[in-house]
Amino acid sequence: MKLTVNGVIHDVDVEKDMPMLWVLRDILGITGPKYGCGIAQCGACTVHMDGIAVRACQLAAGDVAGEITTIEGLGTPAVRHAVQEAWIDLQVAQCGYCQSGQIMQAASFLELNPTPTDDQIDAAMSGNLCRCGTYPRIREAVKTAALKLKAV
Amino acid sequence: MGRVKTIARRSFLVGSVAVAGGVVFGTYLYKRAGENPLLDGLKPGETAITPYVKIDAQGVTLITPRADVGQGAWSMQAHMIAEELDINPRNAKLSPGPADAIYYNGVVGAEALPIAATSDTLLARGGRGAVDVVGKLMGLHITGGSSTVPDMYDRLRMAGAVARETLIKAAMKQTGLPRDQLGTEDGCIVLPDGLKIEYIDLASIAAEIEPVQDVTLRDPSEWRYLTKPQKRTDVVAKSTGTQIYGIDMQMDGMVIATTRTNPAIGGGLNSFDAEVAQQMRGVHAVLPITGGIAVVADNTWRAFQAAQAVDCDWGPSPYIGDSADQFAAVAASFTDDHRDSRFKDEGDVEDALQDASVVEAEYRIPYLAHAPMEPMSVVVKLTDGRLDIWTGTQIPRFVKANMARLTGLDGDDIHVHVLMSGGSFGRRLEDDYIAQAVEIAMQLPDTPIKMIWQREEDFTHDFPRPLAIARGRGAVADAGIAAFDLSIAAPSVAESSLARLNQPAFGPDVAIVAGAWDQPFHIPNYRVTGYRTPAMVPVSSWRSVGASGNGFMHESFMDEMCHAAGVDPLQERLRLCWHDASRKVLEAVGEMSEWGSDLGPNRGRGLAFTLAFGVPVAEVVEVTNTPDGIRIDKVFVAADVGRVLDPVNFEAQLQGGVIFGLGHAMNCELTYRDGVAEQDNYHAYEGMRLHQTPQIMVRGLENGDKIRGIGEPAVPPAAPALANAIFAATGQRIRELPLSKSIGFV
Amino acid sequence: MRTLRGAITGGIIALACAGSARAQDVQGRAAALAAWDDIHAVVSHPRCTNCHVGPSGLPLWEGLGYGGALGKEVVHGMNVRADDSRIGAESMPCRTCHISAASANSVPHAPPKIADAWRLPPIEMAWKGKTSAEICVQLLDPDRNGAFTPEELSDHVGTSAFVAWGFDPGAGRVAAPGSIPEMQEALAIWVVGGTPCVGDP
Repeated sequence: MKLTVNGVIHDVDVEKDMPMLWVLRDILGITGPKYGCGIAQCGACTVHMDGIAVRACQLAAGDVAGEITTIEGLGTPAVRHAVQEAWIDLQVAQCGYCQSGQIMQAASFLELNPTPTDDQIDAAMSGNLCRCGTYPRIREAVKTAALKLKAV
Repeated sequence: MGRVKTIARRSFLVGSVAVAGGVVFGTYLYKRAGENPLLDGLKPGETAITPYVKIDAQGVTLITPRADVGQGAWSMQAHMIAEELDINPRNAKLSPGPADAIYYNGVVGAEALPIAATSDTLLARGGRGAVDVVGKLMGLHITGGSSTVPDMYDRLRMAGAVARETLIKAAMKQTGLPRDQLGTEDGCIVLPDGLKIEYIDLASIAAEIEPVQDVTLRDPSEWRYLTKPQKRTDVVAKSTGTQIYGIDMQMDGMVIATTRTNPAIGGGLNSFDAEVAQQMRGVHAVLPITGGIAVVADNTWRAFQAAQAVDCDWGPSPYIGDSADQFAAVAASFTDDHRDSRFKDEGDVEDALQDASVVEAEYRIPYLAHAPMEPMSVVVKLTDGRLDIWTGTQIPRFVKANMARLTGLDGDDIHVHVLMSGGSFGRRLEDDYIAQAVEIAMQLPDTPIKMIWQREEDFTHDFPRPLAIARGRGAVADAGIAAFDLSIAAPSVAESSLARLNQPAFGPDVAIVAGAWDQPFHIPNYRVTGYRTPAMVPVSSWRSVGASGNGFMHESFMDEMCHAAGVDPLQERLRLCWHDASRKVLEAVGEMSEWGSDLGPNRGRGLAFTLAFGVPVAEVVEVTNTPDGIRIDKVFVAADVGRVLDPVNFEAQLQGGVIFGLGHAMNCELTYRDGVAEQDNYHAYEGMRLHQTPQIMVRGLENGDKIRGIGEPAVPPAAPALANAIFAATGQRIRELPLSKSIGFV
Repeated sequence: MRTLRGAITGGIIALACAGSARAQDVQGRAAALAAWDDIHAVVSHPRCTNCHVGPSGLPLWEGLGYGGALGKEVVHGMNVRADDSRIGAESMPCRTCHISAASANSVPHAPPKIADAWRLPPIEMAWKGKTSAEICVQLLDPDRNGAFTPEELSDHVGTSAFVAWGFDPGAGRVAAPGSIPEMQEALAIWVVGGTPCVGDP
């Protein structure tokens, strides 16, 4: 089947029910999306499908209906997305394992809702678990990112 | 212990060694033979040169041997070296170095000694000195106990200074200029005319000369990085998905494995039928391993699916298998023959309670899982008598030793490559998952194998924080608390985990009472007794270890006693506290939280204080009792680590520790049925999520006499501060964790 | 009930108009009330009411074995809220976890997926916390039932991916009682009997 990931079309031969998380990580070698729970409880695998945040562990390859973007496609160490800039400015990461998912969630959220309220930030980001407890900085980084995006 | 004091005398010697096209600098601890009999048995090579700074034509590599499990240890170690070496740590390459005895931890073992961190007697100092020596002798290359900064603070700055001065000496040789005309700046020697020579261009000369041994560490007033807000060296990689964890390793010809072992802890595998699994797409093999099976496939998901398809006939767990029975076993161990320690016994508690109106309370805490975000994963390759292991681990040398036993290989043929860990909280002090991967490799040599656990395997095969019960008895007088008697019963972490590391555990287990027996209060009659529950489910260290639960026990009972005495919990602690740095954190948190001011209806404040790992931490939690449940509004934290090396990470570790402590107190427990952990994924073990996160205000104090680590100490006071706040807001005294069994949260 | 099968395909409207004798009316009404009870058992089941919630926009996780030890309503985890859009577009869209796909729901505790966009029904279609009579009246009101005539409800039941999932939620979840054909039969009887509600005069 043909899948578009980060702007590149890939032809992959996988079972229709293989979750995109494993297509990305094991078939395409794109390891930014992380495996944390396999049941959409942690959000570490979050990617975008046509710009909307999706848990890649729940999205079967056969059910993909749009272009997939992973954190590698959002920005790179040299050319960063505003959300990544905010995450770096605020020094959010501790172990960092959940942060790809957090950043992808935040980027999609701010695309849909560029001027969020504090309550909406709390609602948008509570599906992503962080065991290190970086939440206070995630909150601040989302607000900072919103300002950065507005300034663009 | 008389001889021990001489051990404290140490001198730094310096070595350098030429490597391919470059030079390695280091410091090592030197002991003259005969100075201490403990050291006579040192084998040649055990004081081999310690490499911390490597310079070659490609650049500067800083060796950061303490594992980074999210606490920022790599970055902090790099900054400590860089401060003296005079380079920007973000321009250097970082490497955790090999597993080696020279990277021994001279501090972590002190947590196993019954010496209060606040004690500065000769005996106490001698004891800690002995820990340093034992750590060295045993080659305790280990990360834990919030020890990285205290253990490495002098060592790494010294390593940086030695390297810097030796590079200057090399520049003197090259330029003919005297020492006092040469300076350093950002990886360069600066000549009087402003010309610069890069360190990397001096590497080969530096390798030829005797390293400078007589160096002076810079005065803190000259620091550029330490005590200033730092940029973590890993922050860009971790914000762009480019940080490589064990689970991300990719190699040519690599296969993927996953294991399924008996969900009933410690139970065996009677038989298995893999016929269906073996036919599944991508499956290479289904192999037996200790206690279960491993599936090797070409893809993680296919391995996961096939593992589920193997039909296994499991044996029973050898341990007490049901939560109620486990708690009953703990409750039954408050007896003389199970008594493990009584390190605190001041005044005469029995006498004081004799004619008094006795306040009694019993507290319970559950087993807790570590559940780091990155499930256990490791890459192994066994080829021609050489075993390579890539993983996030806190115990590389124990991994070497244990895998040597497992494979029969010589330790020198086992190479542990430590990677960034996606969290740990103590889980990576165990190497069970590595042993499983090595068992697979022994059946499948010459192939790189990446083994990944399913999250369900991770939850059901953890070595949890032990459950515990504490019983408090106390009496009050006009002035306040007059008698405070706390008995704590729990299984022993030391007994369980040291056995797995093939190390002896003698004497009492300090962890059973840590965070309770060693608190800096003078109560006229004050006693803390530990009881050791016979081993049940294997247990291990969990962020802040014994103090993680004992803080709740001690500080909940302290709060109850304050109320019984009719005294203010803050004022009473201040009245009883004899330790200056501890008093100051209590005062600070009182000021920050405006303790004593009116919060209005349905609201309450709770205070708790725990001194753990030498760090006094006071926390005040503010809650509101809403119609939808308890909402945690604010947390105020004051902590004293002696010197805050990075205010950014200091705040992050305190906030993270508070969230870790609150989240588990709110809703986490690991319960067992027939030996099987009943919580197998995050839906049943949630911790705190972002919307429940309060504002957390942090203040760092610097009155302590020593520099300390901050990864763990914020955890213990969080749960009791929350429970005490709930009591203040609702009048409901909750004595069992998780609190969600008794009250709802927003 | 089985005899009605043919009648359903023949057209519910015709049937509804057919009964005229008083005795038939009484009998039909009793049968209709009984059928309503079956309908109510479905629409008041957590499989339906977890999403048929009101202005709070907070879906529920009742009947799944989560929380609830304290007897409180179990709200959907992760602080999700459907908001005005009823699809969570203002914060986290339902589809972030609930994939639109016809694939099987086989993994316990994973978010259900259906061949439709996961969402909350409009506020006016809330059933949670309402009495049998209130829901009954609501189902007869095109403004509060998705603009269906009572007769069209049967088609809706037959074609809605949500309804199909409610009867076959998979992964060990408790299903709504009955089946789609049984629900359609009950609807037909209820319609034939004049769509009575409990407590109607």
